[in-house]
Amino acid sequence: MDALVRDCHKLSKHQTASTQKAISALDTAIKQLEQVHSQLPIIGESACKESLEKAKEQLDSTHIIASEQLKELYGNVSKYGKHVEKTFKMDLSFVSESKAFEDKKDILAQSILLHFLREGDFETGNSFAKEAGLELPYETKAQFEEMYNTVSAIRSPEHNLIPALTWTVQNREKLESHGVSLEFMLHRLRFLQLVEQGNTIEALGYARKWFPRFGRTQDATEDGDVVMAEDEQPNYNAETAGRVAMTHATHSQLEEIEHLMGIFIYARRLDSSPYAGQFIAQRWEDGAHAFASAFCTLLGLSSSSPLSVTIGAGARALPIVCKVSGLLRDKRVEWSQQNELAVEVPLPDDMRFHSVFACPVSKEQATPENPPMMMPCGHVVCKASLDKLAKGVRPGAIASGRFKCPYCPGMSSLADAKRVHF
Amino acid sequence: MDKINVDHMLAIEEPFIKAPLEQLKRTVRQSQRQVERETAQVSAVLKTLAKGGDGVATEDMAETLNGLVGRLKALRENLEEAKQEEALLIQRSKQRAADLHELSEFESSTHPEFQRWCRARLDRVLIDYMLRSGNVVTAHKLAATGGLEHFADYSLFSLVMSTERELCEQHSCHGALQWCAENRSALRKIQSPLEFELRLQEFIEMIRVSRTPEAIVYAKKHLTQWSDTQLPRIQRAMTLLAFSPDTRCPPYKSMFDETRWEQLALEFRSVIFQLFNLPAQPLLHLLLQTGLSALKTPACISDDSTEHNRNCPVCQIETLGRLAKDLPLSHHVHSNLVCRITGERMNEDNPPMRLPNGYVYSFNALTEMAKLGGRVKCPRTGDAFAITDAKKLFIS
Repeated sequence: MDALVRDCHKLSKHQTASTQKAISALDTAIKQLEQVHSQLPIIGESACKESLEKAKEQLDSTHIIASEQLKELYGNVSKYGKHVEKTFKMDLSFVSESKAFEDKKDILAQSILLHFLREGDFETGNSFAKEAGLELPYETKAQFEEMYNTVSAIRSPEHNLIPALTWTVQNREKLESHGVSLEFMLHRLRFLQLVEQGNTIEALGYARKWFPRFGRTQDATEDGDVVMAEDEQPNYNAETAGRVAMTHATHSQLEEIEHLMGIFIYARRLDSSPYAGQFIAQRWEDGAHAFASAFCTLLGLSSSSPLSVTIGAGARALPIVCKVSGLLRDKRVEWSQQNELAVEVPLPDDMRFHSVFACPVSKEQATPENPPMMMPCGHVVCKASLDKLAKGVRPGAIASGRFKCPYCPGMSSLADAKRVHF
Repeated sequence: MDKINVDHMLAIEEPFIKAPLEQLKRTVRQSQRQVERETAQVSAVLKTLAKGGDGVATEDMAETLNGLVGRLKALRENLEEAKQEEALLIQRSKQRAADLHELSEFESSTHPEFQRWCRARLDRVLIDYMLRSGNVVTAHKLAATGGLEHFADYSLFSLVMSTERELCEQHSCHGALQWCAENRSALRKIQSPLEFELRLQEFIEMIRVSRTPEAIVYAKKHLTQWSDTQLPRIQRAMTLLAFSPDTRCPPYKSMFDETRWEQLALEFRSVIFQLFNLPAQPLLHLLLQTGLSALKTPACISDDSTEHNRNCPVCQIETLGRLAKDLPLSHHVHSNLVCRITGERMNEDNPPMRLPNGYVYSFNALTEMAKLGGRVKCPRTGDAFAITDAKKLFIS
């Protein structure tokens, strides 16, 4: 890819030079022809012939120069084209034939609209709703209105963080219970904003007021300060999840606070300080994005946009599916007609939402009919594999129905194995 | 730590690099041809002028010369335009390649820069979708807010849109035929019968309004060129002369059908996309299809809603879940265990623990819960157990 950038750079230089040469050659020819034209009434017939011939010669040489220049340019373009071909060897065409969404265009458009709304991009959302003729339900609009105002304050030229901070502090407990660590991010942005504006004293006061909290969170969790009532059943999952996440986060926040406080040394010359990199323009977009995501989490929506998660997964899956589809093409199977993808797509942890158990013996996925079973040693295999082990298909089986675990020396029997629900 | 497979990730960006490249090739080729043709022709005229100068009136010669100068000036203007166009396309290719190249600088997928890159990727995929589906204003908005103007091929798509509209709404082949004429050699290379189909349509329209003699002349001029490959269809088309537009005889009825215009529009789109190396479907469709499949598990389509995870795209039953309905499930030969409580991955560092009722949660979740007095409560059954009763599982 880097090479392509360089190619383009070279190409651009060459293009300017060679088209310019072609054009100026043309200019010379035009000039000469105009001259002949203007002299026509005053010169004699033979002189006229002569100058016509000269003009023709001039034009012929223009023809040669211009053609050569453009030919060379074309040659360079195709050379760049060859590099492009080399960089992109994947054939996307098998997958692109599929018409899976042909009759689902409305649902797709609706999903895209929701994506714009939840990302706080109301303008694009409105424009899309209008162009595609989609209805924007009133409740949806009302639901997102507060978010929209807050996000646009962050995105405004003044980058007003106050509405976002107010909301975050108000909803602190709910956010923490969902494991959303938005507050620190916003305080950090505000702190840096104050420093950038030269309000060093105010920034110091701000740090004193807000940062110690993030040191305390850790103590609080460790002391069991946060008491959870027994009957808070509905929030159970979320609360535990939140606290697990917060404990993970606190440590890195303390480190970050230490890092941030060092900025006072450089307050007068931020541009040349090690902190210069903190002031990139995208930080506002990151903040707006994080706020929108936290807001959606509290609304009971997914914490990141389903569309963006899917596209992320798709970007990982598509090349793999393409490769395998290429291999399967001879068998005339279309990938989208199958019950299951032909290949495993490795996804990062944040794109895994459900437990999938594949039996290490048979490599088959567990089903309700063939559930995962735990042997006394703690190893888990599927029921069908367990039955096979018990029948003594594998070496190591003993007539008594007891058999050795395939993964450790532990012994087991069908009766010892216990059902597991992931 | 999840490493990024840069080659794989960039593979799907192919259309964004190839589309401007194809446009560039076409522009250079066109000006090349124009220069060759125009200068050669002007030179030929000059030659005859110089030779047969006797007897030609000075005024006539002056007029001819004036015409020649005009031609060369027009050529110059075209070259100037092509120069701008080429510079724009090269600049666009360069910016795109540079943006895509940033990917190789990120070490892992948790890098915040990578998250930004992914957001920009979604935006450019959406821009492509918006342009293809004619939502041009939205495309412009997206490009402007994301600073992605160089990822939008406006001129290409506006050509597609206007030609399609002309075909479907005005029932005119004019623009489409002109485009075919400009790209004849490329069309021949991919053996596209698009031009034939357009000519055929014009022929049918003449018959529809009973301009029979004209239709025959038209067929002689334009359809016979295709007799090598399309003879049976030409013969069938000629048979239309014997049928009236309200015929109920199937093959002829379908040829008189107005929906043929829409088919032509579709055909035009598919051919122009093929020439510019754009996939037939929007990239958004391709990524969504494979993405939904890769995420889809039996739990997502379970009738038991407690199996669903609100963060999972496929579990959004009203939206993406419906798109995923007929798509294949993901394939797994390795286990992947996700804690129901924390959503964390369960592995050696955070092992799965089985409660006596058979339900499994992560070590982190259970120890966190047990801080309240050593007991844990199964969120699915409500049973409470001592943490010491939880048994560690080994998943190989």
